[in-house]
Amino acid sequence: MRRLLRWWRGLYESPVLLTAFAVVLGLVVGMFVIIFTTTPVLDAWRSVLNSWGGPGHALKTTLDHVGAAYRAMFNGAIIDPSTLWHSLNTGQGWTQTLTPLSETLTYATPLTIASIGVGITFQTGLFNIGANGQAIIGGIIGVAIGSSLHLPTIILMPLTLLAGIAGGIITGAIPGLLKAFTGAHEVIVTLMFNYVANLSLIFALLSTPLQQPGQGNDISRTLRPGALLSPLFGTTSGLRVNWGLFIAAAIVVLAWWFLERSSLGFEFRVSGANPHAARVSGINPRKVTIYAFLISGGLAGLAGITQVAGTTHYIDGGFLVGSAGIGFTAITVSLLGRNRPIGIMWGALLFAALGVGGRAMQATTGIPLDLATIIQYAIVLFIATPVLVEEIFRMRARSAGGLQLASQGWNT
Amino acid sequence: MRVELRGITKRFGTFTANDQISLTVEPGQIHCLLGENGAGKSTLMNVLFGLLRPDEGQILIDGEPVTFANSGEAVRRGIGMVHQHFMLVPVFSVAENVVLGFEPTKSFNRLDRLRARESIHEASQRFGLEVDPDAIVEELPVGIQQRVEILKALNHDAQLLILDEPTAVLTPQEIDALIGIMRSLKDAGKSILFISHKLREVREVSDVITVIRQGRVVGTAEPTDSETQLASLMVGRDVSLTVTKEAHEAGASRLEIRDLVVRDDRGVAVVDGVSLDVRAGEIVALAGVQGNGQTELVEALAGVRPVESGTITLDGRDITNATPREILDAGLGHVPEDRQRDGLVLSMSVADNLVLNTPRATPYARRGSRRRSEVRRNAEERIRDFDIRTESPEAPVSSLSGGNQQKVILARELSRPLKVLVAAQPTRGLDVGSIEYVHRQIVETRNAGQGVVIISSELDEVLALGDRVAVMHHGKIMGVVAPSTSRETIGLLMAGVVLEEVAGA
Amino acid sequence: MTTTLANISETAPRRRLQRDQVIGLLMVALGLFTAWAFGLGAAGRSQSQFTFDPVNASGTVPWHLGALTLPTRVSCLLAGALIIAGGVEILWRRPRRALLARFGGGAVLFFLAILTWASRTHGPSQVSFVNLTSVLVGGIAPAVVLTYGSLSGVLCERAGVVNIAIEGQFLAGAFLGSLIDSVTHNFFFATLGGVVVGAGLGAILAFFALRYQSDQIIAGVVLASLVISLGSYLNLQVLTPYPQYNAGSPAPNLMIPLLGKIPILGPVLFDENGFFYLVVALVLLISFGLFRTRWGLRVRAVGEHPKAAASVGIDVIRTRYVNVILGGVVAGVGGVALFAWQGQFQPGITSGYGYIALAGLIFGRWRPSGVVVAALLFGMSVYLANNLQTYQVPVSTSILLMFPYVVTIFVVSGLIGRVRAPAADGIPYKRD
Repeated sequence: MRRLLRWWRGLYESPVLLTAFAVVLGLVVGMFVIIFTTTPVLDAWRSVLNSWGGPGHALKTTLDHVGAAYRAMFNGAIIDPSTLWHSLNTGQGWTQTLTPLSETLTYATPLTIASIGVGITFQTGLFNIGANGQAIIGGIIGVAIGSSLHLPTIILMPLTLLAGIAGGIITGAIPGLLKAFTGAHEVIVTLMFNYVANLSLIFALLSTPLQQPGQGNDISRTLRPGALLSPLFGTTSGLRVNWGLFIAAAIVVLAWWFLERSSLGFEFRVSGANPHAARVSGINPRKVTIYAFLISGGLAGLAGITQVAGTTHYIDGGFLVGSAGIGFTAITVSLLGRNRPIGIMWGALLFAALGVGGRAMQATTGIPLDLATIIQYAIVLFIATPVLVEEIFRMRARSAGGLQLASQGWNT
Repeated sequence: MRVELRGITKRFGTFTANDQISLTVEPGQIHCLLGENGAGKSTLMNVLFGLLRPDEGQILIDGEPVTFANSGEAVRRGIGMVHQHFMLVPVFSVAENVVLGFEPTKSFNRLDRLRARESIHEASQRFGLEVDPDAIVEELPVGIQQRVEILKALNHDAQLLILDEPTAVLTPQEIDALIGIMRSLKDAGKSILFISHKLREVREVSDVITVIRQGRVVGTAEPTDSETQLASLMVGRDVSLTVTKEAHEAGASRLEIRDLVVRDDRGVAVVDGVSLDVRAGEIVALAGVQGNGQTELVEALAGVRPVESGTITLDGRDITNATPREILDAGLGHVPEDRQRDGLVLSMSVADNLVLNTPRATPYARRGSRRRSEVRRNAEERIRDFDIRTESPEAPVSSLSGGNQQKVILARELSRPLKVLVAAQPTRGLDVGSIEYVHRQIVETRNAGQGVVIISSELDEVLALGDRVAVMHHGKIMGVVAPSTSRETIGLLMAGVVLEEVAGA
Repeated sequence: MTTTLANISETAPRRRLQRDQVIGLLMVALGLFTAWAFGLGAAGRSQSQFTFDPVNASGTVPWHLGALTLPTRVSCLLAGALIIAGGVEILWRRPRRALLARFGGGAVLFFLAILTWASRTHGPSQVSFVNLTSVLVGGIAPAVVLTYGSLSGVLCERAGVVNIAIEGQFLAGAFLGSLIDSVTHNFFFATLGGVVVGAGLGAILAFFALRYQSDQIIAGVVLASLVISLGSYLNLQVLTPYPQYNAGSPAPNLMIPLLGKIPILGPVLFDENGFFYLVVALVLLISFGLFRTRWGLRVRAVGEHPKAAASVGIDVIRTRYVNVILGGVVAGVGGVALFAWQGQFQPGITSGYGYIALAGLIFGRWRPSGVVVAALLFGMSVYLANNLQTYQVPVSTSILLMFPYVVTIFVVSGLIGRVRAPAADGIPYKRD
């Protein structure tokens, strides 16, 4: 009994529960957005006092709509119970049953990689707001290599990935170098680089050998077959989940080792936790800043090329642009996972599920996909404000809990 | 104005910072609150100044109970405070700082700069506080900044002035000037609450002395009581300020500093041609008022501040402008002045902090990978050897007391192969037991044949520890003297009087 | 704060260039580039023509002014030489004041050179021209929006709160402004809508930053992203099915009698929409308020040394709340101004202006006057990048569109050098 109590208290004070509560709050926010923008629901509430059944009807309409939206999200992101039942009974239609899960994993693959990159800079006390731009450049360079060279898979595949990483590293190196040598605040520089990358994408697609031959549109050539990350269950299975999943898994393990077990990772964490002490202890702040951005940029670039090689196989003007971008989501995922690789992996899976489910929701209920994004950002706003969540759920105040990120304004 | 504190109690969690404190300040009286660092003096003053709310007890002004929701209300009731860390906006002018919060205005809410200037002028003349109202505060010397603080309080028409450790940053001569100002304020009918742990000044200026220890009033004293009496009241036992230190033969020169020039962040040459030798097996104590370049000198030695010119040689090896890493590896141990800021990562474990500056050294890492068993074994050893009180090696260092945090740093530095140990303010803010322990360790380091440099603003510590005492003033070494030299001579050196003049006097 | 942080950013001995040297070197480089690309890059015999006729909304030309025909190569070489001379003067004499003004002059010459080059013809017989008045008018529009954004930043950051959510406040203001204008056809109500939504977002940011002491950069980025998602969501959920709610129009110009008829200056400065006049008033008001009044002194004290401010009874938290909300209001109105310029709401309407405004704030050293210089510079870049295509510049538009962003990166990394932000900017304040 006492052990159970202690277990409960441990859980109650652990960040896991805090995160769970934040997710619940995010879904509540999403619910209100649905309520305030869905005409039938609003109508039902408007006439709430017109009849005795008014309140009940209004409540039912609300629950119906919200329920339908969230059910569509769940069914579209994880598994649809009815098709599962069907498959279990008949042994048929497994592809359809597993598609949502496959999609979520497919979407989570690049997201995990990019988020870990962002998380590493956060742990170093730096902000990389530019993962999206780095991923775009990674995608561009990766496609340039992977679509043009005639080489056997064993060489072309790694070469394409390396090209993507290189693209990210180059783009990440600039803010890192500028920060280290001129003190330029990395937030502004990486933000600006997102725009530069978006424009480079258009430029690259329209006016270079990258453009699909015979096309006037902004569409690139397709990767050569040897450069693709093929689907796990074969091209004919219809499930898009691909070998990139293992790359992401490897990155999680590597990043965990790097941050928790390697000397350089230790120096990163010391710099992030106390830059003054880091400096006095012989850690070179420039080196750490530059390396952190190289690693972070490289991972973002890898995320970009993984996305291309695993899913789209070519890039167009909408590649990682706007709501398709993974950079800002990566920031939120990293915060959700408290900047630690394992946590980030779970966060990426959750947000991938929200994104994939959002698309399904849009298809089934007509509620725009952006609702999923709104829920994501709301969750993160709550995560970044642990005190608020604790207050709402009457959790015990704790001193060291929550997220320790000390930004120091522009004077850093 | 008569101010009375009655049964003030202030708790922070389970810690009781003030326990039933009562005292009364009469008009025109200089009342001293004497106590060690951490005795609860500052907490009490923050309560009186409305920055903290007491859990029990009340404040009476002229017999009438008052409560302050914030310091603004306290100011309006005629209480002014000169904080230990000045509450001045560095980029504002003197006039702007003085009027802040009580600005004279013209139409459209415009600042009336003319009237501000006039009122400063008037107050400066009345109390002999000369300052230029248009000077920018950050460009003024500390002593003048303190005047601005006093002016600010007076401008708000303070009847009771709280001076929180006002002498900590001043030279002896500036202290004399401050004492003069305090007397003229007293003559003008103002009351002063003077917080200090420096016995000499307290005896010189106070009318009444209240001694507090561990949050309680332990007694009142007269300025005529001897220093020893005051000290024993303050620390609760008969203190020996002397360190038991065996005579020790100094060996070859270990650290040579030649014509060193170092600039601070504003570009001022705050270390201005310092030359100093430290030999094996001796402690060189660097005395001087805070802010005379000692901090920057240590930073330059540790490699975290660039050297403009001159050289630093550690055991025959030039380490001028070497990186901190190279300097650490060359055998310089460094106990930083601000241990929580520069010496520790508070959120990390004791074990990690014990290898903070040697994470890549054998056996703690191999081929870029940390060996956690070795780190832990090292931590267990250090915790045993240095008697560090911690729950476990994995506990965050923030959970340790100040004394134990300092032990972590000392343990880390002293267990590396050192040639010279540089310790800045090694006992600041520690309790008496920890101070003795730290002093013991430093002396043993010396006895083991290493060179030691101690930087301290506590003259007693300097005199007790040093085999030789170097006095710094305005970035220069005024002289290197024996620890047996009189306090007066050292005081003059700290004030910038050259050694020959001292000798001649 | 500045002292301690400076320790960190510098390892090796201080070899960093001073701000004025950087500006000087940049100007020399700019001048060399101008002379090389536009001067030597133009054919020797080509000519350029500037016209100055005002063009009003209906496209008619109310009156004509003469045209100025210049030899392209010589003019551009001259402009380049002048910029170089300005840079050399800065490097040589190290003037302490009016650095930004000098740099601004250099930038003006650079823009003129671009235009000269863009309007060049192959020989004296052909006619191609740039209407300088419409270029200036066109550059003012984005500059106005950017100024609103940067002023919002001035209000927030002078009080010590980083407002990185300007982009979101812009979008919300534009959305609501468009909605209200579509329904009421009244820009006064639209502006009011911007005020309300800006204040609301400012309050949320303040709430997270002050009440819960969240990291201000995170809170700002997330809040902005949230608003942008919401804008895109509402666009699909509300504006697409009900297009009558997105049927606004650009704000009409209000010409000041007489002054509006001055050649060149008239159309640029005295024949603008209400948001232009409002922002001019705001710049003057905020400048006066910050540096001349009791309110400003207290705000700056709160942003520099909140503890000192608190010790004399200034309510730090309250001051910050008020300023962040005021900043939100200004940015919200800026969003309406953005809509009033574009005439229609679309999800991507802000296209990074909020973040450029942030850079302008830093470039303008947290002063309303400096912010205006930055906004003009960036606004002109935005306009030129968007319109150079119509002047048949043989360079990809994508590359040209990068210009403001690249300039911003340059600005943040080089020019601002050791500019000091308000000392407590971005640092959460805790009452003891």
